[in-house]
Parts: sequence; C-alpha cells; structure tokens
Amino acid sequence: MSLQSLRARVLLWVSVALIVLFAITIVGLAVIFQRSSELALRDALQVQLLGLIAAAEESEDGELSLPDDPGLDLSLTVPESGVYGVIWDADGVPIWRSASWVGREWFVTQWPIPGERIYLTVDEEGLLELEALLMGIRWDFHDGSSLPYTFGIALAREPYLAREAAFRRNLIGWFAVVTVTMLIVLTIVLRYALKPLRRLVHEVGEIETGRRQVVTERLPSELTGLAHNLNFLIDSERRRSVRYRNTLDDLAHSLKTPLASIRVLLTDRGVDDEAKMRALDREVSRMDQRIGYQLRRARATGGTGLGLAPVALGPIVEDIVGTLDKVYRDKQVSCELDIEAGARYQGDPGDLNEILGNLIENAYKYCRKRVLVEVKSSVERVEIVIHDDGPGLPEDAEEAVIERGARADESIPGEGIGLAVVAETAELYQGSVRLGTSPLGGTAVGVILPRRGYRLKK
Amino acid sequence: MRVLIVEDDSSLSRSLVAEFEARGFKVLSAPDGREGQYLATEYPVDLAIIDLGLPEVSGIELIESLRAASKDYPILVLTARDRWQDKVEALKIGADDYVTKPFHVEELIARADALLRRAGGWAQSELVCGPITLDTRSQSVRLEGQQVELTSFEYRLLEYLMLHAGEVCSKTQITEALYDQDFERDSNVIEVFIGRLRRKLDPDSAHKPIETLRGRGYRMVLPRGAPEAR
Repeated sequence: MSLQSLRARVLLWVSVALIVLFAITIVGLAVIFQRSSELALRDALQVQLLGLIAAAEESEDGELSLPDDPGLDLSLTVPESGVYGVIWDADGVPIWRSASWVGREWFVTQWPIPGERIYLTVDEEGLLELEALLMGIRWDFHDGSSLPYTFGIALAREPYLAREAAFRRNLIGWFAVVTVTMLIVLTIVLRYALKPLRRLVHEVGEIETGRRQVVTERLPSELTGLAHNLNFLIDSERRRSVRYRNTLDDLAHSLKTPLASIRVLLTDRGVDDEAKMRALDREVSRMDQRIGYQLRRARATGGTGLGLAPVALGPIVEDIVGTLDKVYRDKQVSCELDIEAGARYQGDPGDLNEILGNLIENAYKYCRKRVLVEVKSSVERVEIVIHDDGPGLPEDAEEAVIERGARADESIPGEGIGLAVVAETAELYQGSVRLGTSPLGGTAVGVILPRRGYRLKK
Repeated sequence: MRVLIVEDDSSLSRSLVAEFEARGFKVLSAPDGREGQYLATEYPVDLAIIDLGLPEVSGIELIESLRAASKDYPILVLTARDRWQDKVEALKIGADDYVTKPFHVEELIARADALLRRAGGWAQSELVCGPITLDTRSQSVRLEGQQVELTSFEYRLLEYLMLHAGEVCSKTQITEALYDQDFERDSNVIEVFIGRLRRKLDPDSAHKPIETLRGRGYRMVLPRGAPEAR
C-alpha cells in the first residue's frame, strides 16, 4: 500500500495520532499512579510510626521501652517482613528494634530535632530498598525530666514498585489492544467509504476504453460535483473534437472549390487579363470569407474550461461600443445601453467578445442613427438583445443566416458570417439566437445564454 | 498628405507604397516598429498605417509610444487577427480605425481618406466649400455642379487646402505634405500651382477661393458647407 493511496495515508496518520495520544496518556497516568502510590506509602509510614509511639512507655526503672507484648502490627514481629521499626536514644544508640529487623544496620546520617519528621530512602547495596520516616520526640518522664528520642519506621519499596510496574504494563497492553482494534475498524470503514471512489475510477477507465459514455452521477454528495464536472468535461471535449474535425473538413472542402476555379482560370486562354483579375479577386474574397468564418467558428470554445470566472458583460459592451463609436464616427450613431447592473456570465471572455462584437457591429452597420444594447440577467440565463433602427432583415433571414450558417459549405453573404458565428457560439453554451423586429423600427437580435446547469425550454 | 506605413511584409508594403503614391500621397515606410518609431517622430506625418504584428517593437507598443509622445494624427491599424479583443485593445490605446487582412486597397485608401478628412474636421466624404465640391471617394472636383479636370498634384493641393479650410497653410507645410522628403523645395512651384487652381476654380474671379497671405502662406477662404441648403 503506497502513500499515494488515500487509505494508506489515512491509516498512517491515524496510527501516528493514536500512538502520540496514547503515549501522552500512558505517561500521564503512570505519573499520577506513582504519586498516589508514594502518598499511600507515606500514609502507611505515618500509621506505623504513630502505632510505635503509642506503644512506647516508661519502664519501671524510669527509661523508655516497649512492653513485651506491645500489640504492634504483626509484620513488625515477622523477620524480613518488609516493615521495620527502631527507637534511638539521644546518643543515637538503638534502645529498641523490631523483631523483623534481622541482619541489618540502619546508619542514620541526619537526626530529626524533636517534633520534626524526615522522610528518606534507604538504599544499600545488596539489600532491600526502603522508604523510611524518622521522627524526633521529647519524652516527658513521670519525675518531670525529659529526654529526646528518635522513632524510625521503614517499609520495603519493592511491593509498591512492583505494583507501579504492573499498572504500566496493563496500561500499555490495553492501549495497544485499543489501537489495533481502532485501526482494524478504520480499515473496514475506509474500504466501505472509498468504494464509490473506486467505482468512479473504474468508470473513468471504461470511458477511456470506450465501453462507457458518461460517469454515473448517483454517488455520495461529496462526489456528485466531481462526477458532474467530469461528465461536463468529457462531453465538451467530445463536442470540441467533433467540431475541430468538422471545421477542418469544412475548411478543406470550402477552399478547394475556389482553388480549383483559380487553377482553371490560370490556364484559360479564352479570358482576357482584366476578366481574369476580377475573377481572381472574387475567388480570393471567397476564400478569405470561408477561412474567416471557419476559423472564427473553431475559435469559439463554448466555455469548456472549468476554471472560468464569471465575466462582467457591462465593461465588454462599453469597450466594443467605444471602438465602434470611433470606427463609425462619421455616422454619428447614438447608442444606448440598458445593461443590468453587475450582469455576469460564466463563459470564455473571447466568446463573449465575439458574440457582442459581431452583433453590435452589425447594428452599427445597418442602423440609421440609433442602436440599443439590452442585457438582462437572471438566475437561469443571460439575455442580450441588440436593436437598431435600420431597414430590418428580410423575412427568411433567420433561416438564411442562422440555419445555413451552420452548414459550412454554403456561401454566406458577408454580413451573415458574424451572425452565423454568433449563433454557433451561442449553441456551444446551449443558447440560442432569435431575429425579430425592434420597436426602434429595425432589427432586434436576441441571444439567450443559459447559465450552467440550466437548459433552455424548447 | 504624408502617410507613414509600418508593415513588415515587404511585398505588401511595396504594393501599399506604390498604391498610395499613385494617388498623390507622400509615403514614408518602415519594415519594423523601431524604424517606424524613428520616422514617426522625425518627420511630419498626417496619417500612420500600422501593422499590429511587427518585429522589434510591436504595433501596439508603437501606437502607445506615439500617443504618449502627443502625436495626435490619425492611426489606422492593419491586422491579420480579427478577434474582437484585439480590435478593442488597439482602438483603446489610441488607434482610430482598423482594417483586417486581407483587404482591398480601395477599402484601405477610403478609410485613410476618411480619417484624414475627420482630422480636418470634416464629417462627410464630400468636402464642400461654397460652390466647390471635392469628393474624396471618387477624387473628383465639381464647380457649381460642373466637373473640373485637375491633375493629381492640383487635386492634392486643393484637398489639403479644403481639409484645412479657414486655416493658414504655410508654403513649407504644403511642400512637406505634398512632396517627398528629399524633394528640393522650391516655393515657386506651389505658387504656380495655386495660380492654376485659381484659374480652374474661379475663372471669372467671382469667388476668390484661395487667399494669399504675404509671407505666411495660403488660405481657403470659402466657408465650409454649401452656400444654400440643398
């Protein structure tokens, strides 16, 4: 499972996270356990020490001693029990030792003053490690005198250390079990959760080999967008390649006829030079027109790129009108703009420039004095209508210009090329072009461009 | 009229120079943007025709630099690119019109004439001063409706004066506009042609269309427009 795999990545990072989390938890718990066990040890020392102090009494000869049966903790009476007690006099000489204290000396280096408690660890080579408590006591005798004594209790640390170690072992064991269980569960969950993704990959593979046309869009909501965009890309790519192929075919076809005419013309002895020149010019114009038309068709992208930002239409219209005002200055065209504020369309800026440029230029060309550019924007679509007050188009213009424009082989009159290109570009966006009569008296050309995800009602 | 043509295709450039010269224009031509820039700033120019796809300095940069240097004569752009974005860009930075390749020379010359006319403040292709009507498209002149036969040089001289109707045109200005840059300037020639124009346009000395301002030059004194509404 390489790290390129989503599952491997998730498992790796979850494992790392769990290990770090559990390591911190284990250390924390162990520290807490150790503290509380230390406190328990000190409590036990205190209890034993108080028991020892309580058992001590003044003997008949006026000295401090313990009775024969002092009623002490039994473990003090069993040799090597791990619980030891000693009482020292003021000179540091032991006046009493518990029966458990066998074969061992307790060398005290620091004596407590009366009332003071000293906790210490007694760790001698080869002997049990002890935790000890020393307490200084000033004993008041019946005769009114008083003498300092030191009471000492020591407990073997070993049982406590063993308990701590066992606790840590248990802790690590349990956490290891939890980690492994979680990773197993996660593997199963991932396997199930990533299933749609594997299906998608499989389907894309099928598209590659031509066994499938589109990707199924019935997927978890996180993936439907991806699948939708994939289908969109596949579809536009397919349409684009068809369009390129058609354009090239059309271009070749439509150039060959004028070329053939020219070749015939060159060898035609029956035609004088003047007539040849005229014919040559006519053929060159035909070729120019066809190349222009086919290239403009091919250039239209139809907004196939997915990363297209919405394009503001107002500035494009203003730039084009500014350009045409300069070019048609003599005509003194009065152009009104009625553009919805902030009207935008998610399309290729080049396509939108061609649509608007061709339509507005036609209006400038054919108007008498007035042109009106309307842009309306809604959730579903953008509608562009260009009006002029010119003579208007003949009845059959729509068929002649738009329908025929789609068939490349037909010759289109010069002014029709722009409109035909607009119609084809709009079609790439699933849009349409309508011709009509404008309230201004001339032609009204409307282009409707549906927004992505919306289709025009037929 | 002096036209600057900046075009890198040598055969197209040669043909354009020949066509413009045949129509009485004085032509400066440059094969790249850098030389175009030099000619445009060193010589008086009435109109520049600039190809957008030029080596060295691009057409767009050339236009920008001319406008930045306050050269306000009209600029006509030639371009093989017919994308709207290109046209808009060229006109936004200061060009006045565009012609897409391939074009008919007549079309180009008509556009050039129109730009020159507009630069002289004329909106129509027919320039009318009183009884004189000059049609820039057919390059013909009528006097009270009657065709007047003019030589190419006489026509250019009259056109220049009419384009600047009401303004004083010095002999130097006229010579520079109508002759090649290396022509040996002889102001007497202008005087001779003015004399011929006066004889052809005002045989009876009724209108006195061209005024001589001693030491300063000549002026078309007839008001722009027809004497009465037609």
